[in-house]
Amino acid sequence: MTDVVRTGIRPSRVAIYGVLLLAALVYLIPLFIMLVTSFKTPMDIRTGNLMALPTDWTIIGWTKAWSEACTGVDCGGIRGYFWNSFKMTVPAVLISTLLGAFNGYVLSKWKFKGSNLFFGMLLFGCFVPFQVVLLPMAATLGQLGLANTTTGLVLVHVIYGVAFTTLFFRNYYVAIPDALIKAARLDGAGFFTIFFRILLPMSTPIFMVSLIWQFTQIWNDFLFGVVFASGDSQPITVALNNLVNTSTGVKEYNVDMAAAMIAALPTLVVYIVAGKYFIRGLTAGSVKG
Amino acid sequence: MEHIQRQPDRVARSRSRLLDGLQRWLPKLVVAPTFVLVGVGIYAFMIWTGVLSFTSSSFLPVYEFIGFDQYAKLMANDRWLTASVNLGIFGGLFILSCLVISVLLAIFLDQKIRQEGAIRTIYLYPMALSMIVTGTVWKWVLNPSLGLEKLMHDWGWASFSFDWLVSSDMAIYTIVMAAVWQASGFVMALFLAGLRGVDSSIIRAARVDGASLPLIYGKIILPSLRPVFFSALMVLAHIAIKSFDLVMAMTAGGPGYSTDLPAVFMYTHTFTRGQMGLGSASAMLMLGAILALLVPYLYSELREKRHD
Amino acid sequence: MSQLELRSIRKTYSGVAEETLKGIDIDIASGEFIILVGPSGCGKSTLMNTIAGLETITDGSIVLDGKDISTMEPKDRDIAMVFQSYALYPTMSVRENIAFGLKIRGKPKEEIAQEVARVADLLQISHLLDKKPSRLSGGQQQRVAMGRALARRPRIYLFDEPLSNLDAKLRVEMRTEIKKLHQRLKTTIVYVTHDQIEAMTLADRIAVLKDGELQQLGTPKEVYNTPANLFVAGFMGSPAMSFVPVTVEQGEHGLQAEVRGNDGGTIKLPVPDYLADRVGREVILGIRPEHITQPQDQKDDQDLVTKGQFTIEVTEPTGPDVIALIQLNDTNVHCRIDPEHPVTWGETAELMFDMKKVVFFDPETEKRIAA
Repeated sequence: MTDVVRTGIRPSRVAIYGVLLLAALVYLIPLFIMLVTSFKTPMDIRTGNLMALPTDWTIIGWTKAWSEACTGVDCGGIRGYFWNSFKMTVPAVLISTLLGAFNGYVLSKWKFKGSNLFFGMLLFGCFVPFQVVLLPMAATLGQLGLANTTTGLVLVHVIYGVAFTTLFFRNYYVAIPDALIKAARLDGAGFFTIFFRILLPMSTPIFMVSLIWQFTQIWNDFLFGVVFASGDSQPITVALNNLVNTSTGVKEYNVDMAAAMIAALPTLVVYIVAGKYFIRGLTAGSVKG
Repeated sequence: MEHIQRQPDRVARSRSRLLDGLQRWLPKLVVAPTFVLVGVGIYAFMIWTGVLSFTSSSFLPVYEFIGFDQYAKLMANDRWLTASVNLGIFGGLFILSCLVISVLLAIFLDQKIRQEGAIRTIYLYPMALSMIVTGTVWKWVLNPSLGLEKLMHDWGWASFSFDWLVSSDMAIYTIVMAAVWQASGFVMALFLAGLRGVDSSIIRAARVDGASLPLIYGKIILPSLRPVFFSALMVLAHIAIKSFDLVMAMTAGGPGYSTDLPAVFMYTHTFTRGQMGLGSASAMLMLGAILALLVPYLYSELREKRHD
Repeated sequence: MSQLELRSIRKTYSGVAEETLKGIDIDIASGEFIILVGPSGCGKSTLMNTIAGLETITDGSIVLDGKDISTMEPKDRDIAMVFQSYALYPTMSVRENIAFGLKIRGKPKEEIAQEVARVADLLQISHLLDKKPSRLSGGQQQRVAMGRALARRPRIYLFDEPLSNLDAKLRVEMRTEIKKLHQRLKTTIVYVTHDQIEAMTLADRIAVLKDGELQQLGTPKEVYNTPANLFVAGFMGSPAMSFVPVTVEQGEHGLQAEVRGNDGGTIKLPVPDYLADRVGREVILGIRPEHITQPQDQKDDQDLVTKGQFTIEVTEPTGPDVIALIQLNDTNVHCRIDPEHPVTWGETAELMFDMKKVVFFDPETEKRIAA
C-alpha cells in the first residue's frame, strides 16, 4: 500500500493534511466543549459562548455533579451510581471473559457433535436486538428476586456479552495450529493442562480485546440499566440521563458536562491506556469476516 | 470410542478410565453453562416475546391470544409509522454518511501520514464513550439559545439560526449527526485495516500499467474491500436498529414523538405505557428487520467460505 | 524397542460416505523404520493419527507389544510424534518444550535435567536451550521437535511429514540426520511423507497408500522394481515410469511387442517369456527412464536388449544425466542418457532398450503381471 504514496505532489499533500486535521478538530471539539463548559460558572455559560475558555476556572460543576446534583427525586450527586457501575462492570467483565475463553477453547479445539450449531447459536445471539428479550428477562429477574439489583445486572450483562467474548476467543484460538494441541496430548496433557499451560500464556492479546470491549460495552450500557434497575441500583449512564433530563429548576450545564465527563472517564482512560491492543485485535477479527 | 476396553489390568486402569471418561465429557461440561444461559436468555426469551405479541397483555403478561391483532394495531399506529420512517431516515443517512466519511478518512490516512497514530486515536475515541454521554454533549452543543447559534452570533454571523434540536421536522437529523460523530472513527479503523491488507503487488502492477492513483483506488482497492464494506454495513445497521440511548439522551423521542425510533417505541409502550402486547409485537418486527439483513449476509459469508 | 501391529484398521468420519481407511493391515517389527507414502488424501495422516490415539478407529485394532491400545487415550500409549509444523509450544523455551512431557508425567527434576541434556547433546541443540522457538531457524525448530519426542524415550516414534517445511538443501541434510539417528538408536519409527525420494532413502519398508487402501508393502527395492500395480509404479521414481500400451506377439526369436515412434518408424521390443499366455492381447509396458539409454556396446549381445531410431522431442539435462523425451505408441516416454553422449532435440538418435527390468501390467486390473 505504502508504495502508492510517493506519487503525491506538494499541493495534494497539503490538501490531505488539511482534511485530516479538520476532521480531527471535528472529533475533538465536542470533548473540548464538554471540558471547558464543566469548568465554567453558570454565569459564564450564559454570557460567553461554547468555544470560549472559562473566564474564571471553577470545579464547582464537578463537585456538584459528584455529590449534590439531582437525578430525578434523589439529590446526592452521581457518586453512588458511579460505584454502582463499577460493582456491576467488574464482575460482569471478568465472568463473561472467562466464560468466553473456555467456550472459545472448546469450540475451536475440542469440537463435538453439535458444537458448530452451538457456535451458530452464539453468533446469531450477537445480532439479536435486545428489545426482543427485555420483557421476559424483566419477568425472570423478578421471579429470581434479582430485579433492581446489581447482581441481576451482572447476570444480564454476562448472558448478552458471552456471545461476543466467545466469538473473540474462538476466532483467536482457531488460528492456533491444532498440531500444538495434539503434541500436548501426546505429551500427556489433559483438557485443563493444555488450556492453562499452552493456550493461556499465548492469549494476552485477545484477553485485552475481550476485557476492553466488555468494559466499554457494560460501562456504557443504558438499555439494561434503565429497564432492569431502579433507584439505588442504577448505573451511571441512567443517572446521567436522569440528571440531564430532569426538568426541575434551572439548567446547570456545567454540572451536566462534569457529570458526562465523570461518566466518560473510566472508558476514556481504558481507551487511551490500552486502546491500541483493542483496535489491533478487533480490526484483525472484523476484517477477516 | 465404540470399543470396549479389553484390558484385564488392575484398579489403576479403571481409575484412569474414569478420568478418561470425564475428560471426554469435559468440553461439553465447560460450555454447558453458556449453553443454558444463551438458550434461555436469548432463544427461549425470544419465543416468549413472540408469544406475548399474540396476546392482549397490557400492564402484566396475560395469555389471552388474540392472533395478529397487536400487529394490525401496530401498523395502524401513527407513532409506530413515524418511528419506522425515522429509522429509515436515520439508518439510511447514518450508514451512508459513516461509510463515505470513514472511507475517505481511511484513504487519506493511508498516505504515509505523519503522526498517523495520534490522528487515529482522535478519530476513534468517541467510540469509547457512552451514547448517553455523546447525547448529552451534542444536546448542549446544539442547544438553540446557548449553543452553536450563540457561538455564531458571537463570531459575527448575526443571522445564523440553528434550532433543529427542537424542530419536529429536523430533530432526527441532529441524532444522525451525533451518531455519525460517534461511530465513523471506528468504521474508519475497519477500512484502514482493510487497506493495509490489500496486496501491494497488485497496486504496483496497476502502476506499472499506468493507472492513476484515483483510478487504482476506485477500480482496484475499494472493490477488493467488499468484505470490509459488508462488515461495516452489518455493524452500522445493527447500531441503527438498536439505537435507543442516543435518542433518549438527546430528545427522548421528542419534540412530540417526532424522533421516535422503533427501539424507543418498544421501550415506551412496554415499560411506561403498559402496552406489553404492542411492545412485544414491535420487538418482533425489529427482530424481523435484523433477520432480513442478517440472513443474506450470513448466506454470502458461508458461501464465500466454501469457495476457499 | 517395540513392535506394532495394525489389524484391518477402518475409519469412517461421520457425515462422509466413503471410508477414509478401508482395512489397513501392517505389521511393524521392532526397530523398523516404516514409511507411509501416498498422494494427499490417501489416508496416511489419518492412519498416523489413529496410531497416536488422536483419532478413534471405527473398526480393527492397534496392538503395541502384544497389548491392544485401540481405545487408549494418547497419553497412555507411550508414543511420541514429530509434526510437520513442529508444533513447538511458543511461550516455552526450548528446554521447557523438551521437558514438558516429562514434567507432566511427574518425573523428578534431576531426571528431567539429565534427559534434556542427553537429548540436546544428541541433536546438537545444547546452545539453544534457553531460546524461545520463534527465535530459531526452521532447521533448529525441527531438531527441537525431534528432541521433544526423543526425551520421553517412547515405544514408538511417529513422524508426520517432518521435513516438508524445510528448504531443499536442509531437507537433504536432515534426512541424513534422521537416518543416522535411527541407525544409532534402533527405534521403531512410523514416518509419513508424500515425497517418494524420502521414502526410498529412509525406509526399511514402504507402505504405499491410495484412497484409504494399502497398495503395496515392501522394501524400497521391491516397491521400485516390482511395483504391485500401475499406481505404485507411477508414484515411485522420478522421472516417473512411462506406460506404453503394447500388444504381445509371437516373433521369430521369442515374444515381442511392436512400438511406433512419432515419425512412424516401428521396432519390435523383445518381451519376457512369462507373457506367453498373453499373445495377441494388449498389456501395458511399464518402462523406467534408465531402461532406455544411449547404445552401450557391452550390452549388445544380451538377451532382451534391442536398439532403435527415435526422434528426440525434448532434452532436460539434470547434471549426471540427460532426460530425453520420445514417443512410443503416442505416449510420452522418458529416457536417461549419458551427458557425454550428445543428443539434440528434433534429431533422430539411436537408443538402446534394456527389457530385462521392465514390468507389465494388465490393462483391466491394473495389476503387475507376475513373472
